Amino acid sequence: MKAFVAAIESALPDALLDNEQLSSEYEGWSPDKIYEKTGIRTRRIAAPDQCASDLAVCAAQALMRRAPLDPSSVDFLLYCTQTPDYILPTTACVLQHRLGLPTSCGALDFNLGCSGYVYGLGLAKALIDSGQARTVLLITADTYSKLVNPADKSVRTLFGDAAAATLVVASERETLIGPFVYGTDGAGAENLMVPAGGMRQPAVAHAELIADDSGNARTVNDLFMNGAEVFNFTLRMVPKAVEQLLAKANVEREAVDLFVFHQANRFMLDHLRRKLRIPESKFVIAMEDVGNTVSCSIPLALQHALERGQLASGALVMIVGFGVGYSWGATLMRWA
Amino acid sequence: MTREAFLRELEGQMEIPPGSLSESRALADVAEWDSLAAVLFIALADEKAGVTVSGKQIASTKTFDELLSLLGDRLSAS
Repeated sequence: MKAFVAAIESALPDALLDNEQLSSEYEGWSPDKIYEKTGIRTRRIAAPDQCASDLAVCAAQALMRRAPLDPSSVDFLLYCTQTPDYILPTTACVLQHRLGLPTSCGALDFNLGCSGYVYGLGLAKALIDSGQARTVLLITADTYSKLVNPADKSVRTLFGDAAAATLVVASERETLIGPFVYGTDGAGAENLMVPAGGMRQPAVAHAELIADDSGNARTVNDLFMNGAEVFNFTLRMVPKAVEQLLAKANVEREAVDLFVFHQANRFMLDHLRRKLRIPESKFVIAMEDVGNTVSCSIPLALQHALERGQLASGALVMIVGFGVGYSWGATLMRWA
Repeated sequence: MTREAFLRELEGQMEIPPGSLSESRALADVAEWDSLAAVLFIALADEKAGVTVSGKQIASTKTFDELLSLLGDRLSAS
């Protein structure tokens, strides 16, 4: 049995955070400047009582309606999030019940950010190819907005909340996903981090708000991003991962019909595209209305490309995820 | 590319008037020099000089002269 992606659906929260709103809060930052630096016009922000898992339920239900997918056929649920409902139990167990999946279904969370979708596809394929599952529901969902301090424009201008549900199923056909290239460099852990709230440093009540040299302020409970180091990491690792994958698959770069990278920000994507000499027509940028949606950015970009006719049946697609960890992964998909 | 030409490119990226930056100026004296400008510098260093600069290296510099020196002999004096 070989795995393939049968359908993707997504869900976004209702509330909008646009550049006009941000501009009114950050002195010297016009809406145009924010757009120019990020390529983002609006981000979607979860309501105070809305968890990533609530968005996950909406995305999965949309998949069940439209794919269509009979919940009783799902034999494995993979849930990628960094904003779980609880320390324990695993959110995937709660989702199994909420989605009406059978109790014979395996379910687990995995904690990855921008590389999570590639890892999720790798896990789903491994489960299917090894005969452990036939129908895998892969859900990515995050609400980074809940980790962002409003006084930190370095991350508030970038991140948006979202969920995406991907149906990965067994087929008798040829291999449609793979090979995979993975990578990890925990030396970069501190450069994209929420320092407090885990066991190493429990969340701090009344934490001090500390401003950095660039005028952004946050507490130890908030998301911190060292933009320069993260950018340096992507310049070092993404081109290498692309070359490694092409070599492993024995595929020429020109044979790839579409490149879908993690939608970090437009500046970074434009730079990587030029560096890798990928023509604009083969490169997806789909973050203008949603921002950087972490592990949802690749499935949202795939959906975007499908809706615009940029992705057709039979196309060879390279997807590359990279970020928090540091963690990265890349794979090829033959679109069914 | 010369060090002067690189500074002009950086000014363009930072959207500040040409001539705003000079080798002798301290980074701390340029109000627009912030974490975003550092990212722009890294991109420009990669594109124009083929050098991958880290945030730590940038943090160790105090003047634009020291900053340009991170690119070694990839930039010419004139």
